[in-house]
Amino acid sequence: MDAARPDLLDPASLAALGRIEVVARWVVDGFITGLHRSPRKGFSVEFAEHRGYQPGDDLRYLDWKIAARADRWMIKQFEEETNLRAALVLDISPSMNWAGAAGRLTKLAYAERVCAALALLLLRQRDAVGLIRFDDAVRSVLPPRARLAHWRRIIAAMGTAGTGTATAAPEALARAAALVRRPGLVVLVSDLLVDPAGVVGGVRTLRAMGHDVVVLHVMDPGERDIADPGDALFTDPESGEAEAARGADVRDAYRDTVASAIEEWRDWLPGAGVAYELIMTDAPFGIALRRAFAVRQGLP
Amino acid sequence: MTFLSPLLLALMGAAAVPLLLHLMRRRIGARVDFPAVRYLRRAEQEHSRQLKLRNLLLMVLRVVIVLLVALAAARPVGPGLGSGHPPTAIAIVLDNSLSTTAIVDGRPVLERLRAAAIALVRSAQAADRLWLVTADATAVSGSASQLVDAIARVEPLAGGGALRDAVQRGAALVRAAGLDGRHLAVVTDGQATAWRTAADAGGVTVTVLAPELDPSRNRAVTRAVANPVHWTPRGRVTAQLAGGDSLAWRVLLGGRTLARGVGGTREEISVSAAPAERGWVAGRVELEPDELRGDDGRGFAAWIGDAPRVTVEREAGLFAAGATEALVMARRATHGDGIAVTPADLLRACPALILAPRDPVRLGAANRALERAGVPWRFGEPRRGTARAHGEGGRLDAVRVERRYPLLAAGVPAPAETLATVAGDPWIVAGNGYVVIGSPLDTLDTDFPLTAVFAPWFATVMTERLSGDAGGVIESTPGAPVRLPPGATGLEREDGTVLPLPAGRATAPTRTGVWFVRRGAARVGALVVNVEPDESDLARLSLESLAARVATGDVRAYADPSPWVRASWAAGSRRPLAVPLLLVALLALAAESVVARRGLARAVA
Repeated sequence: MDAARPDLLDPASLAALGRIEVVARWVVDGFITGLHRSPRKGFSVEFAEHRGYQPGDDLRYLDWKIAARADRWMIKQFEEETNLRAALVLDISPSMNWAGAAGRLTKLAYAERVCAALALLLLRQRDAVGLIRFDDAVRSVLPPRARLAHWRRIIAAMGTAGTGTATAAPEALARAAALVRRPGLVVLVSDLLVDPAGVVGGVRTLRAMGHDVVVLHVMDPGERDIADPGDALFTDPESGEAEAARGADVRDAYRDTVASAIEEWRDWLPGAGVAYELIMTDAPFGIALRRAFAVRQGLP
Repeated sequence: MTFLSPLLLALMGAAAVPLLLHLMRRRIGARVDFPAVRYLRRAEQEHSRQLKLRNLLLMVLRVVIVLLVALAAARPVGPGLGSGHPPTAIAIVLDNSLSTTAIVDGRPVLERLRAAAIALVRSAQAADRLWLVTADATAVSGSASQLVDAIARVEPLAGGGALRDAVQRGAALVRAAGLDGRHLAVVTDGQATAWRTAADAGGVTVTVLAPELDPSRNRAVTRAVANPVHWTPRGRVTAQLAGGDSLAWRVLLGGRTLARGVGGTREEISVSAAPAERGWVAGRVELEPDELRGDDGRGFAAWIGDAPRVTVEREAGLFAAGATEALVMARRATHGDGIAVTPADLLRACPALILAPRDPVRLGAANRALERAGVPWRFGEPRRGTARAHGEGGRLDAVRVERRYPLLAAGVPAPAETLATVAGDPWIVAGNGYVVIGSPLDTLDTDFPLTAVFAPWFATVMTERLSGDAGGVIESTPGAPVRLPPGATGLEREDGTVLPLPAGRATAPTRTGVWFVRRGAARVGALVVNVEPDESDLARLSLESLAARVATGDVRAYADPSPWVRASWAAGSRRPLAVPLLLVALLALAAESVVARRGLARAVA
């Protein structure tokens, strides 16, 4: 693994280096560099430009003619023509605006960067990308567009957390269904601290409409292994619900419960034909991107 | 269980802290933002039973830890497991009475008792306080090594001592020591006569060691006296033996054998003699040596002098003359100028037995004669009426008096002694060279001459009181309080060495034998120090009976030294419990750590 690749750096450290669009570009560039298999395989593509060879690039795309004439190693890059329409459904509820430790990205910050990178990646493939942000209601909607300039609008729509007291994932998914009329791709990025039935019902509806659905379950490590602040009143910043406990006393039981909940999501969502990926906020963006994009790679 | 630092038990109140935390944990604590509250709630619902059990277990463990540490801080001592013994004040009462010198199985009993006491002392710790109390109630304190030396130096007493006093002295010492551990360790031969009365140990725990020994039958001289004390010059030695029917005895007087023979337990030996010696002479009745040497002989003392010469005035009456004649016939007196028996009005000089005049008209002449003779008493006006006399240790209490002259002290009272009173008035008085009777020896005036006590009393007055100031015999036991004659300056042994008497000395020497009481260069009496007759009875008490002879809450008797030593230091099996408690606390802490860190489910698994 190349430690210089931005998509594999510590997300918090990387996020500290620049604004969201800068970070997203680095991530996408690094991600593309690291692909061992062309994402364009099976697509109708046309030549776009050359770029310098980097270790790890597929030698099939090395321009041998330039190498023979000028003794320079150049990689041929292609642009595809596609009509895929994708919708990124981003949970911005207060529960997402939380980090389990200082210096770690909040789930929302992490999710925004993943969405930005994913949008850029899709746009570069000529896919049309839209964005839906929601908390207890749908807060903003950007219809899918295939132009790169649309990415700026997507970035501009991010950066503010929601203030709602609930997570209206079903409504957001319904809105996505309305937004992407043809069979396309819907990516839900959420901490899934919601009523599972609503989410499962929403994604089933999407699947019934022919959409491919990816659920990125964003989780802070502090949510999987509860901290021990002593006797404390654990309060949900979103709903205001509170539970008194001692972290050390309930640690094992809590871990078991979270594992059980994750397993339930793994059962329900793939069972509905939905790709489910658990992403921890201390994992490099590249991992999240790879898992989300793996679905796109499988699409026609 | 008791505590050496009971104030620290207050730390047990800290046990309320984990208890309160457990009870209040739902109401305390900082608010913490945590989005996954739904998972937390679900975890508590799904694992509520385990969590409650775990929390309860943690609370119990924490309370137990606090309680154990508080208990350990209070330095508990009690029965059960433990190490060493708490700082203990222990007094070892070592029976070194004469009976412990008996040879049993080739060794003196005292040697065994010493060894047991030394073994006990060698188990002592630096914080212990030690005393050695011997059978004469003499106490010695010191370090363990000093006490070992003291025990090794303990010599047997010449008598029975006072074990009861020794026990009470030892108990008082340990009670006053200020230590929580207080114990009295008694090591004795268990002689029944030494433990006749119960000794009060005042609540101090007591362990008694009485080795099971079977002494052979002891032969002893239990009594030896000169009768009378003043021989004139004839007298008699009487003695009592114990321990068999064929006991070879001999009587020595002044270092030479006076008589010898064979006697038995219930026979009284009586030897009459008129020795040539004069003055105070020491004698001894001896048996053949046996396993207990200290009581194989018994001393006595007699004053030997010539028979007093007695003159009886005719007016003194028939009874005085008859009594004098009996003394002459017994060769305890002779006729001649010496002691006068006379009515006061005919008194010419002392020594004299002075009677009240028959005729009250002679009262004035009688008092003038007393004054001339230097007798500091006068006859008062005669009194008639039946009255009883009291005196001479009760021997004269049956004497009836019809007419009497109350005796009145005249001038500066010289050393005098009232021998009998009637109605509170002196009736018979004695002084240097005189005895005065407040009535004539006539049956019309008193029935004294008719009573059985008259003749012996008359003989004693003639041969002892009026035959010179020879003094008397004081019978005593080793180390016992004695009352010596006024002016005594020293005690002279039979070998002639003189022990000066320190001022205020009131105890007999600790060695048996005859000591002549010296006033300057003169012998004025004898102090005969002999073993208590009871000490010759070597019968033992059972352990149960021995334990019952010590009045205290916790007393146990042993025959073997080892358990006695262990029990003595255990002081009722009480040991410091701090270390075991801390170990249990550590175990509880480890358990708490496991439960707290790994969770109940894993701990149980």
